[in-house]
Amino acid sequence: MNFVLSGLGGQGILFMTKLLAQTAINRGLKIMAAETHGMAQRGGSVVSHLRIGDVAGSLVRAGSAQILLALDENEAYRSLPFLARGGRLYVNAPHDVLVREEVWPYLDKMEMACRFFPASEAAAESGSPMASNLALLGFFCGLSERAYPQRGSEADHRSGEPGPVQGDQPEDL
Amino acid sequence: MKHEEIFLGNGAIALGLVEAGCQVVTSYPGTPSSEILPEVVRLIKSEKLNAYAEWSTNEKVALDNAFAAAVSGKRAACCMKQVGLNVAADSLMSAAYLGTNGGLVIISCDDPGPHSSQTEQDTRLMARFAKVPVLDPSDPEEARQMAGLALALSEEFKIPVILRPAIRVCHARQGLIRGEIPHNGRKASFEKDPGRWAATPRFRFILHGELNRKLKDISQRFDTLAPYNFHNLTPGKRYPLGILAAGVSYAVVKDILSEEARDDIPVLKLCAPYPFPERLAGEFMSACDKVLVIEETDTVIEYFLRDREKVLGRLSGNVPSEGELVPEAVYGVIDRALRSLDLKGLKNSGDGGAAELVKGLHLPIRKPTLCPGCPHRASFFAIRKARPKAIFTSDIGCYTLGLNLGGVDTCLDMGAAITMASGFYHSFAQDQIDQPIVATIGDSTFYHSGTAGLLNAVYNDARFILVILDNMTTAMTGMQPTPGLGIRADGSRGKAIPLEKVVAGCGIEFIEVIDPYDLKGMIRLIKKAAQYVSDPEGGIAVIIARHPCVIAYRQEAIPNKVKVTVTEDCVDCNFCLDRFECPALYRDETLGRTAINQALCAQCGVCIEICPKGAIVAA
Repeated sequence: MNFVLSGLGGQGILFMTKLLAQTAINRGLKIMAAETHGMAQRGGSVVSHLRIGDVAGSLVRAGSAQILLALDENEAYRSLPFLARGGRLYVNAPHDVLVREEVWPYLDKMEMACRFFPASEAAAESGSPMASNLALLGFFCGLSERAYPQRGSEADHRSGEPGPVQGDQPEDL
Repeated sequence: MKHEEIFLGNGAIALGLVEAGCQVVTSYPGTPSSEILPEVVRLIKSEKLNAYAEWSTNEKVALDNAFAAAVSGKRAACCMKQVGLNVAADSLMSAAYLGTNGGLVIISCDDPGPHSSQTEQDTRLMARFAKVPVLDPSDPEEARQMAGLALALSEEFKIPVILRPAIRVCHARQGLIRGEIPHNGRKASFEKDPGRWAATPRFRFILHGELNRKLKDISQRFDTLAPYNFHNLTPGKRYPLGILAAGVSYAVVKDILSEEARDDIPVLKLCAPYPFPERLAGEFMSACDKVLVIEETDTVIEYFLRDREKVLGRLSGNVPSEGELVPEAVYGVIDRALRSLDLKGLKNSGDGGAAELVKGLHLPIRKPTLCPGCPHRASFFAIRKARPKAIFTSDIGCYTLGLNLGGVDTCLDMGAAITMASGFYHSFAQDQIDQPIVATIGDSTFYHSGTAGLLNAVYNDARFILVILDNMTTAMTGMQPTPGLGIRADGSRGKAIPLEKVVAGCGIEFIEVIDPYDLKGMIRLIKKAAQYVSDPEGGIAVIIARHPCVIAYRQEAIPNKVKVTVTEDCVDCNFCLDRFECPALYRDETLGRTAINQALCAQCGVCIEICPKGAIVAA
């Protein structure tokens, strides 16, 4: 299982990756992850890769991530080439549709599903504006396969209510 | 029962060092190597080891110190980024001839990409150049094992050994199970032997012969160094194509071939490439009609194969000659090689055209910027305001991002802010041109490589303003302490060596210290310094712009926080956005003028000084 996590320097992408990786290790799974350090952390694009299972390399190959978690919508687009056919995209955004309509046909063609959560707002409301990473992670963990009855349909990339939907089950990590 | 813990590659290397009884570790920070030493320090403390770790002032200093430890019979390591090894090259070349008593591993971390470096240079070439063995791990676990292997090899053959983890090892995370950490009680000893330890050229010739013999023996050792060097050929079978893969690229190739179930393609793994395992490579070459070489970042193994008919690699144009060999690149390389030989290609699970699609979106370029509240921003603004026509030579650190503020014109290598400033001065002075020059260098970079250049500039009467951007830490690489603070790698007190004293010792007579948050004062001071520089009786003026890094000193850096707002006096001229470039300043499209992102704002209040219309005010 391949994850790509993307956002901007300072948003806590590394911490999100560590939590997911530790969850996998706690379940007795093998992990390999790759991080961005150094200059890019000064506000540049930051991408983390996490691979769960018996793999040798730490980088996710383009077109092979099942899950893309993006703390910034533009960074979601930038990381889109990593997402595999049928992959799922979780975006921190205060709306329920991807702003750039140009990508809609691609998501349809590739049977990708997209869910939105206003993680920055949720973090600010809870009193810790820096915690949008944890807010998005919580949203992701609260969702399950059942949230995507019709993958690839228009309804997917203009998803419904933010937050766990009734009937959802926790994402099995 | 021992359980798996997640280790960063650099943490795995630190673990490997202490598991192998390494007693002395030295380092100068640099991405992607910086986390090794702090992890060693953590292990020394938690395991109460009799071991010494230091942040050295530069990489050459680090290597010399570790070398002496190895001469005294200890197991020693020094860690740096790959361009740091250039700084330590003088020491490395000589140490190869002299050899060691104990074990010496030089850990030089490569940065294919490059992600955070001036060059994509391949440390394996430096190993070949210096004639020392090199190990090239494919993942953190292997890096940990190789740290111990390097020390053992070094001790056995009395030769320094290089471990070169690439960035995808250093900054990979993997679950590892800790081993036993021994308490190495080995005592230092030194037997005088001037013919060796102070060898003159005549003896160096003899030592060179010894070195060549060592390499021959180690090459044979590397022929059978499974699981780091091995192939999976079936005896007697011939193959149309084999892949030779090294280091991180081996892991990538292994994943691709296993996902595609291509066990028809044999692989030779060479993670100990020099001295070259001639016999092992020869077996592989004989069994394959063509051999595709996938190695990062340069052509090391490819040259050793010495068969231009058979070898596919960079020289034949099969493999890109620059940039990181990311999985999708390797996938394409293998696929094209197979198809060019009329063999079955890979399944081609491409990205469905996403890369092109994303390109067409013209997404905003996220260039790295100085943090909100960063004192360097204030310094660069003041410098440009006071000396708008100057050449701005700069250096390596966070402050290279002064580029965005038009405050950085050059960045060559560590210390070149000063040496290029003197070089520019003499070039223009020769033509009687009074060219203003302002050099900027960080505190850590000044301690690393500033003094020799400054001594030279003073001695040869160059004229320029040098602003030392003293944020009291090595910020870019993760807040390592500097000699200016006198805090050592383990957090204990060392002797602080203030910049003022070092600068005075270099013969500078104009030394002023200022807090760059005082923008007006800083601008006045730079103008005063400019007069001194132009005065026939003057010289080089040094301004120490001292203010703590807002990240390293989160609590203390901004004692008087000022909530800032933008009034209706803003005429939307964008001056602040272009010239001050603070992430907290943005153009509000609805208001049609500048606004403050209060969540990002550090409340330093410096921007209040910069607005030509006085529209940025304390709320």
